[in-house]
Amino acid sequence: MKIYNINTIILSKRKCSFLFTIILFALFQMSVVSCSDFVEVEPPKNTLVSQTVFEDASTVESALANLYEMLRGQGIGTYSLSADMGIYSDELDYFLADPNDLSIYIHNILPINESVSKYWVNAYRVIYSANAIVEGVESSEGLTSVEKSEFMGQALFVRAYVHSILVGIYGDIPYITTTDYRINNSVARLPGHEVYYHIITDLMMAVDMLGTTDATGEKVIPNRHVANALLSRIYLYTGNWEQANATATQLIDAFILEPELEKVFLKGSRETIWQLMPEGVDRKNAPEANLFVILAIPGQQYALTETLLKAFEEGDLRREEWVGSFTSNDGATTLQFPYKYKATLSETESLEYSIVFRLAEQYLIRAEARAHMGNLTGARQDLDTIRQRAGLDGTSAMDKETLLEAIQAERFTELFAENGHRWFDLKRSGKAGEVLSTIKPNWKPTHVVWPIPENELEINPNLRPQNEGY
Amino acid sequence: MQKKCVIGDRCPLLWVLIVLFLTVHSVMGNAESKFLKFELAVFQHQISGVVSDKDGIPISGVHIQVKGTSQGTFSNSEGAFAIVAAPSDVLTFSYIGFKTLEKVVGNAESLTVVMQPDIIDLGEVTVNAGYYTVSERERTGNISSINAVDIEKQPVNNPLGAMQGYMSGVNIVQNSGVPGGGYDIQIRGRNFINGGTEPLYIVDGVPYGSQSLGASELSAAINQGDISPLNAINPTDIESIEVLKDADATAIYGSRGANGVVLITTKKGKSGVTRIDVNLSSSLGRVSHFLDLMDTDQYLEIRREGIVNDGFGERLDDPQYASRYPELLMWDQDRYTDWQKELIGGTAYRNIGQLSISGGSDNTQFLLSGAVQNETTVFPGDPKYGKVSVHSNINHRSNNDRFGLQMTVNYTKEHNQMPRTDLTRAAYRLAPNAPELYDDDGQLNWENNSWDNPLASLLEEYDARINTLIANVGVSYKLLSSLTARVNFGYNTYQLDSYKLLPNTARNPRFGFTPQGYSSITTNESNRDSWIVEPQLQWQKEWGDFGVDILLGSTFQKQTTEQLVVKGTGFPNNGLIYNLAAASQVQIRDASDSEYNYQAFFGRLNLTFKERYILNITGRRDGSSRFGPDRQYGNFVAIGGAWLFSEEPFLRDGRLLSFGKLRGSYGTTGSDNIGDYQFLDTYNVTGDNYNGVLVLEPSGIFNPLFGWEVNKKLELALELGFFNDRVLFNTAWYRNRSSNQLIGVPLAATTGFNSLTGNFDATVENTGLEIDFRTMNIRNKDFQWKTTFNITVPKNKLVEFPDLENSAFASRYIIGEPLTITRLYNALGVDPQTGMYTFEDYNNDGEITSLEDRQWIEDLAPKFYGGLGNTFTYKNLSLDIFFQFKSQKNYNHFRTRSAPGLIDNNTPRVLDRWQEVGDVTTHMMATSGANYSLVPSRSYQSLSNAAISDATFLRLRNVSLSYRLPMDYAGKWDVNLYLQGQNLWTWTQFEGPDPEQFSLLFLPPLRQITLGAQIGF
Repeated sequence: MKIYNINTIILSKRKCSFLFTIILFALFQMSVVSCSDFVEVEPPKNTLVSQTVFEDASTVESALANLYEMLRGQGIGTYSLSADMGIYSDELDYFLADPNDLSIYIHNILPINESVSKYWVNAYRVIYSANAIVEGVESSEGLTSVEKSEFMGQALFVRAYVHSILVGIYGDIPYITTTDYRINNSVARLPGHEVYYHIITDLMMAVDMLGTTDATGEKVIPNRHVANALLSRIYLYTGNWEQANATATQLIDAFILEPELEKVFLKGSRETIWQLMPEGVDRKNAPEANLFVILAIPGQQYALTETLLKAFEEGDLRREEWVGSFTSNDGATTLQFPYKYKATLSETESLEYSIVFRLAEQYLIRAEARAHMGNLTGARQDLDTIRQRAGLDGTSAMDKETLLEAIQAERFTELFAENGHRWFDLKRSGKAGEVLSTIKPNWKPTHVVWPIPENELEINPNLRPQNEGY
Repeated sequence: MQKKCVIGDRCPLLWVLIVLFLTVHSVMGNAESKFLKFELAVFQHQISGVVSDKDGIPISGVHIQVKGTSQGTFSNSEGAFAIVAAPSDVLTFSYIGFKTLEKVVGNAESLTVVMQPDIIDLGEVTVNAGYYTVSERERTGNISSINAVDIEKQPVNNPLGAMQGYMSGVNIVQNSGVPGGGYDIQIRGRNFINGGTEPLYIVDGVPYGSQSLGASELSAAINQGDISPLNAINPTDIESIEVLKDADATAIYGSRGANGVVLITTKKGKSGVTRIDVNLSSSLGRVSHFLDLMDTDQYLEIRREGIVNDGFGERLDDPQYASRYPELLMWDQDRYTDWQKELIGGTAYRNIGQLSISGGSDNTQFLLSGAVQNETTVFPGDPKYGKVSVHSNINHRSNNDRFGLQMTVNYTKEHNQMPRTDLTRAAYRLAPNAPELYDDDGQLNWENNSWDNPLASLLEEYDARINTLIANVGVSYKLLSSLTARVNFGYNTYQLDSYKLLPNTARNPRFGFTPQGYSSITTNESNRDSWIVEPQLQWQKEWGDFGVDILLGSTFQKQTTEQLVVKGTGFPNNGLIYNLAAASQVQIRDASDSEYNYQAFFGRLNLTFKERYILNITGRRDGSSRFGPDRQYGNFVAIGGAWLFSEEPFLRDGRLLSFGKLRGSYGTTGSDNIGDYQFLDTYNVTGDNYNGVLVLEPSGIFNPLFGWEVNKKLELALELGFFNDRVLFNTAWYRNRSSNQLIGVPLAATTGFNSLTGNFDATVENTGLEIDFRTMNIRNKDFQWKTTFNITVPKNKLVEFPDLENSAFASRYIIGEPLTITRLYNALGVDPQTGMYTFEDYNNDGEITSLEDRQWIEDLAPKFYGGLGNTFTYKNLSLDIFFQFKSQKNYNHFRTRSAPGLIDNNTPRVLDRWQEVGDVTTHMMATSGANYSLVPSRSYQSLSNAAISDATFLRLRNVSLSYRLPMDYAGKWDVNLYLQGQNLWTWTQFEGPDPEQFSLLFLPPLRQITLGAQIGF
């Protein structure tokens, strides 16, 4: 306890104006007891100063948990993308009247569309948090080098993963690698291929830093396999067939394809490479089932399109296992819906998590890479692995071109309503126009990318110009 | 950071000791003088007399009382009275409309008393300036006030409601007609680019946190999350409200005075007979204005037309689209419901009962008052709001006049039970043929899952219990005849305990929700505690023509705020939903705990010379914990002066001019209104977890370097009184400049956040002219007519903003224009060829684009506003009529739904739509919203100048008629009957719900009529 009289205050605060000196002098006469650090407060009890966060492994884990919680809650790579890209492409029909969803469905997206800004804003929030971890861990003195590399690897992976979704939606985007707002506030966009270059660089670092163990046994925290799963996808997207082939092979060697279709989307599925754990309070299960399963007509939000239903070959077990059907009470309307995830809100058991990467995709990545490399036999083998599980005969495609088409067709029926695969495939194959112009009367070639949120162009003029056509 | 302020907690202890010492000292002094008084109070005798006015006309009903006792009587119809008193006694004579008069009895046996009419005497009217009081005559600053007489005339629930229109320079807008809601207040315009306009509220000397502690998760849909703590202050307990506006008046509040200061003073006990007052009133309230909406045929016709225009006509025969167009494919095509009548057409009742006891001697006075209020709203079902308040006050002065003690305690309990969602939105929007609310069994009707029944909201209870305690003790001691020491202690606690229910039964059964999986309760337990200690020293001295008044003081204030929002989900059945322990999962949504410490030294130096030259200097040195180390302190000073030129010898005898004063002030105030801990780089606990690991999220981009916002205020004013002050004319011109703005600078999303708090070198200027006019038009024995008028012409301007073009504010502000502008397209009407809205292409590039073609500027701030009141008194009958007016613009239906045929009901004006080439119409072709090519037309229209209408209004805000029963009937009882109306009639061209509320989401302010009686004995 210190007792100050006013005299010391006067001495310590020399900037006092003349008037205040008079007043303070008078108060000194009153012998008022004061306390110069009365106006300093301790930090609030329910927050932590960031330096202390990075001195302890358990609080860094909490900061990392925030990344996964945001990804889970916003569904920017999972359910939200599945629905929005599903109705934007030819997977899903949309039945409600939400203006944002409706404009995605009928291809009249404006730069002020809320979904347009939702992905952008949420994604860069996650990226900021990932960068804060990268910087905090780097300068930490309390962490071991093993911990540092593990934490940094996870943060770099998340940074790469989120950028990979953004570049898919918007095309040219800024690649953010710092928390410094002065840089990020006036950052310019990079061409898509440069964004992919940064993603690959980050992922290669993450692969080096991360181990292959799965501490939780539930595959809910990214490890080296997860970084590789994204890496092989990015190699495929960028036409690096050799690396795509090699990386996918590593995963195919490390995981087993779940032989029974009905187990693929359960939380214990052996082919899952990474999944997001539901929050457990409001939702014990992945939100996907709730979004897609039709429980009443009218009132349905989404249903599978005729195009998709026709894409299933005769005898495809996925048409039985992964597609649900509902008929209205009056019997007039029957609609089909994605039924990969089955646990709706009324399910009180925890059965399903949101799967981000699964092995089937890696088989199809390798098939496509091999086909491009000229290894048609290997490509057919991989494709048939997937077809056989669906109860189908081996592919009849013999030459490279038909084989590539068969692989695309297989991706449609295997990965439908999952994380926007169909849309990104249509886009990279250049077939979006051919496929969509018939079912989306508003289709324009510029629709391969979404507009940049209008508000962002106003705040940061360096992001201009707007994507063509918007 | 780790230093714990030990002594800070102990500072008040020292003051407690000082006070104890002073108390003991004065009680001793008191005992002596009581003994003395006993000796003198002997030899009572009867005195009789007559009371008349200055023309000799007798006055009946004058209350005559022996001062300091309960003994009293009234004069009869001849003005005669008789009373028993001792020679040392003092008689007080009081009667409405006349000045209270005191006469020493002495040895006289009969008295002739002449009472003077109570005209406004500026020398006697004092106004509360916070730390000191000042007479209206010698005031150097700008202080507006409203007193109990005007507040009691208005049946309002919130003190701010009573101020609307009565004060120049103060613009108040009611947010919602739902009980428990809040108000927006702006004193002399908006000073800060991103900061709030909330002034500092001081209730009986205690700073009162006016920020809502409501959690938007619970209450955003019913009262916008704004649960105004000011509702806890019962308007009928208020003696006066003062608003401090200029630098001279506000600088003594330093860092918190930038947006002005509102001083609320509650009623005090008065010496005299013990008096019991009972006040009972009942109010009826209804929505004052229903919107004109389409009927079923009109609505369905343009819906259908819109779908066909969009190219989806075939869907009208396809049952698969029934859920998209239920109003056309499922529901009865002939059904019509007036949803406004159904959902917001009810009558809101309010019953208030208040009982107060007051009285006391010359030395000690008390007041104890309790009030109970019950209120309903216009929604169906049983929503209600209840309030119980207790107000008490004790004043004591020692006989030697050295020691003074006053204590005021206000305690209020509020209980607000409302539906979770304001039904107004549904009332305006539902299709006119939407189905029945209840089915034949009295259950919510979901009409085959085709709609969201609005009354489901009634099952989703919102319930808030609020306890508020404001206590204040002031102790003063006259150390010397010219020197007084004073300490004020204040304590304020505000507790909010609320919950929101989401039972599965309130959701459409198509979702398949169960109590186990869906039903939830969210609770918000918040409290704010603050204490304040303010030791002060006042020295007053006069030497001949020269007078000095010096006040010095310091403030220690500590405020802690805690909030805990918890959500429980999954219940065995809905009967257990109120019990969080029965929830299968409990989740903490928000847990915050913050501390705000504030310390200051303040002072005032007031010099008067010859009672006509006055100089007033006030200042404050302020420290706030909201700023980082070494940035906590700031200095604020103001200088004010007044020249009473009517006192100059060359004007003193002027018959016309009875009062003339020229005054001016200049000084600085500040603002620390930015929330706690913003200078720290922190991680928050969100309450979520992932994989069993608690989630920590970065709380934002931090800036350790920010400091005070500075607000420099300049004012010049002229105050004139004519004909013995029967006509008073005050006019003030002000210029407030705010710089070093603490802005949440909007950031690009690529930074991870949307804003950063920091000081920014921009300057905002508010200038304005305020005119107040008070006249006593007619005054004679039976009839009086008084008029008051005020008008404010404000102007807001962004003076300086470095590098605006390249900043995040480039699209919002323009240098030289107000902050309240909005940029719009210039609408050119509907093209008869295409049926689409057209707009001016400012840059002639053939395209309409947001960045280049939104060049039309509209200002939504009022051009001028004010009020006009007339009071007529005829014998015992009094009539008050008060008009409020405001000239402004607001958004119209083009803003919300600019095209015909969109889902949701709309004004029938949209029927004037384009149908074929050549049609000249006000609205574009109908669209259901699904046609891409029609979207730009309608969305640009909603952002164009067509979406803005004139919303100037003249409102009969208050009419109050009161009748005081004549003595002949009431005997000794003082009975006053009154009929009051609030928001009775509005003249405006504006077609929205209310000219001050364009949003179609919340209940507009209601029209209320109150009948009541006040009985005193």
